[in-house]
Amino acid sequence: MNTPHISEQFDAELDAVRGLLMEMGGLVEQQLHDAAQALISQDDELAGKVRSSDARVNQLEIDIDEQCIHIIARRQPAASDLRTLITVMKASTDLERIGDEAGRVAKMAQAVSGMEYPADQYNDFRHIASLTEEILTRSLDAFARLDVDGALQVIESDEAIDQAYNAIVRERGTTMRKDASGIDRAMNVIWAARALERIGDHAKNLSEYVVFLVKGKDVRHSEKRRASAS
Amino acid sequence: MTETNSASRPERRFTTTPAFRSPEPAGDGSPSIEVDRLCLFYGEAQALRDVSLSIPRQQVTAFIGPSGCGKSTLLRCFNRMNDLIDHVRVTGTISLEGQNINAKEVDVAQLRRRVGMVFQRPNPFPKTIYENVAYGLRLEGKMPRSEMDERVEWALKSAALWDEVKDRLKESALGLSGGQQQRLVIARAVAIQPSVLLLDEPASALDPISTLKIEELIHQLKSDYTIVIVTHNMQQAARVSDYTAFLYLGELIEFDRTDDVFTNPKQKKTEDYITGRYG
Repeated sequence: MNTPHISEQFDAELDAVRGLLMEMGGLVEQQLHDAAQALISQDDELAGKVRSSDARVNQLEIDIDEQCIHIIARRQPAASDLRTLITVMKASTDLERIGDEAGRVAKMAQAVSGMEYPADQYNDFRHIASLTEEILTRSLDAFARLDVDGALQVIESDEAIDQAYNAIVRERGTTMRKDASGIDRAMNVIWAARALERIGDHAKNLSEYVVFLVKGKDVRHSEKRRASAS
Repeated sequence: MTETNSASRPERRFTTTPAFRSPEPAGDGSPSIEVDRLCLFYGEAQALRDVSLSIPRQQVTAFIGPSGCGKSTLLRCFNRMNDLIDHVRVTGTISLEGQNINAKEVDVAQLRRRVGMVFQRPNPFPKTIYENVAYGLRLEGKMPRSEMDERVEWALKSAALWDEVKDRLKESALGLSGGQQQRLVIARAVAIQPSVLLLDEPASALDPISTLKIEELIHQLKSDYTIVIVTHNMQQAARVSDYTAFLYLGELIEFDRTDDVFTNPKQKKTEDYITGRYG
């Protein structure tokens, strides 16, 4: 995969589209971080910034699709080139969804921003947010470095986010039953955590694409296939 | 067409059409040609190095590789065309339907009747369209006129050429277009009902539409024949073949289902070649 193409222009086109995907990855990484921070610090302004940055992410998704389609039509790519393009197109869809989910978290952040700062300081939400940020960063790193082992580790670690989400639903449910005045906040935190849990799923998808890109093995929906890829 | 477009909504289909499925073996999956540790020398120069592979029956197998990789040489071994070249020496074995084709007792003319060949440049005889197809049949011995007519019509239909030439069978074959001439040559080859068809760059001298017609024809012919095609056009190999063999400097680097070779080749050399990284 390191050997350059005879056509330098082809290499340049593939690099360009990979570059756009990485730019998109960096943007949604920032969106996720800011959205979680906005909720934790009840920062209405930061939440607004997250929501307005969505336009750039959406535009990147469109640009990536367009460039991939052009390359496929003009170059008839095969093997790893074909897998790269298909993977980049699929990954851009997941990144765009991650951006949407981050926007959802920002919306919840705005909803709680006017409330009194809680005694628990959103500790449960901090936990799931840091797990989600970590898994997304590791997925994007695996993508940039074409690191199959790193990607496979991400796929396995998605479980921790699910557990953190279930814990939030359980704990916040108990809180709501005890004290009806906390329902608004609890519901917003649960919805935001739900969005983070979805982001974890999308990040896991990204890692699955990395395995396909590098090894040509589709490890989605199968423990067994994952085992054979490692 | 217009009726369905305007009047009724097209029926929604939930099943995949066969064209989008991976090719399933049409034959019984058994090999038609088996090559075992084949080496070929032109004098001192070795053109094929220890090549072993099994060509599956009633499937299309494509040989790809850069110029001079030995793909045409390998193809020409299958009907012993290399016999015509001086100082050629072959070791290893090639079996056609279990029979060693290089054995002393093999009649080469008979072998070539079973293993037909089509070349890059269409090479019709300077005779009528009818006579081009009838030529090989006449070598088989006398045949009643009506039977001959039937065989010629059948062969031209097999080669998807009948409708275009049925009213001009007595005209010279040289008046046909390049694409038509190539299909005529294929008709000539199938007229004597070989079991294997070897195609050496059959479409490289043709325009894109004629090329697609030849490719469609290859697809139809594989239900009756084992087809081996040499092509420089990798997209063509990807389109028409079920199996692909990649050769490089006389060695067989990779031989696998075409779907796998073009999406996930096992060897780096194959990957570099099909992605255009061969320097």
